[in-house]
Amino acid sequence: MREFFKSTRFKVLVAFIAFLLGMMIYAVTKGGYAVSGASIVNTITKPIRYISGGIASRIELASDKLTNADSYYEENQRLRSEVNELKAQLSDYEDLKEEVEELRKFVVIKEEHPDYVYTAPAQVLGYTANDPFKSFTIDKGSENDIEPYLPVATAEGIIGITVEVSEHTSLVRTILSPDLSIAAVCAETNADYGIIEGAVLAAEKNCTKLTHLDLDNQLKVGSLMITSGTSGLFPRDYPIGTVQSVGLESSGLSACAEIEPCADISRLSSVVVITDFTGKKEAENEDKTEP
Amino acid sequence: MRIRPSREKRLLHIRTAIRWLLYYVLIFAGFIIMVSGSMLKPVILLPLALAIAVGNDLYASTVTAAVCGLLTDIACGRLFGFNAVLFSVFCIAVWLVHEHYLRACFTNYMWLTAVIALLQCRLDYVFYYGIWGYADAESIFLHLTLRVWLYTCISAVFVYLLTRLINKLRQREESRLITEN
Repeated sequence: MREFFKSTRFKVLVAFIAFLLGMMIYAVTKGGYAVSGASIVNTITKPIRYISGGIASRIELASDKLTNADSYYEENQRLRSEVNELKAQLSDYEDLKEEVEELRKFVVIKEEHPDYVYTAPAQVLGYTANDPFKSFTIDKGSENDIEPYLPVATAEGIIGITVEVSEHTSLVRTILSPDLSIAAVCAETNADYGIIEGAVLAAEKNCTKLTHLDLDNQLKVGSLMITSGTSGLFPRDYPIGTVQSVGLESSGLSACAEIEPCADISRLSSVVVITDFTGKKEAENEDKTEP
Repeated sequence: MRIRPSREKRLLHIRTAIRWLLYYVLIFAGFIIMVSGSMLKPVILLPLALAIAVGNDLYASTVTAAVCGLLTDIACGRLFGFNAVLFSVFCIAVWLVHEHYLRACFTNYMWLTAVIALLQCRLDYVFYYGIWGYADAESIFLHLTLRVWLYTCISAVFVYLLTRLINKLRQREESRLITEN
């Protein structure tokens, strides 16, 4: 043993330990920064540590999966059912929100016209295939008090009229069709009367036509046309559309105008049917009293 | 004299049933396509009815054509039965032409479908727009009816391929028959 302590080997080791201690003390004086040697080592080994770290984490993950598979599976199932539940709630919420927003628009009209009786909002099931006048089917029928020839509207304006009513569905003819005529008046002047009637060329642009206008009419682009309610088929003062252009009929005896419906008829999702209104009752009474 | 073992006969019935079931699945899918969306769509049930008529039993294919016609009436908002009558007549005509004059092949099917679809589109236009004297009604024919006809012709290609796939069941049926002279 004594020989060892006297040997050169021991001295070298002590020197080495002293070096390490010196280095340690030096590192303490650096105030948190790594000594240059450590810095070099770190720099060199950095990419390798990335790779090895990645491999290690994968191995740990794999072993974790193996050891905790059951608990993860259970947690996954629980979270999945929670997600499905939340999705269903969100879907219900969106539907309700849409319905409330739709109904909110009608509340304003209902306040102005308490005589209007609406059905619940009806969903548009689909448009009639290849119909240039965009007729469509709604999911409400005679079981919802819908009859043929009742006005169909959105909060924005009149859309059309029911023409074929079955128990659960109804076919709606739109104001783009030449087979539907509505007496209309300009909302601003309250004097320019005409007949809203679809036309083939206007329907191509999702517009309808106002005919039988006086030659000295006061209509201008943007004027709002509303129902005059004289026929008894449509309620009075319901918006129909705005004037896009004014011109002369081919005969030259009267003026006509192109009307853009207030609602986009080609993209409807839900509408309401107006089952009763003041003008309608009067018309019915008149019919009954007439000989 | 034809000898058909009872097991073979049973298989034949099953295959025929599957074939017709697949035809009706196609018809249902075609109907769904026709009632979905607001864009222009092909009258896809017409080429389907014609494809079924080629090489199948006349009565069964005529009834199927009528079903296709009725579904087209519903989808297109036409008088219930209008297209059913047209489709049935077309189907019988196609069956007869193939029975006596033409070979069942893609080219014959395509030109026959094109001619018949044009006839159906023109009749539809005449009865629903032409005779009512709408102003500029020809615009409907040029901008809508002809486009529908073109889409129908294009859809006929896919319909032909699908029905040919289903008709392979029929070829197997025929190959299973043992004929003894």
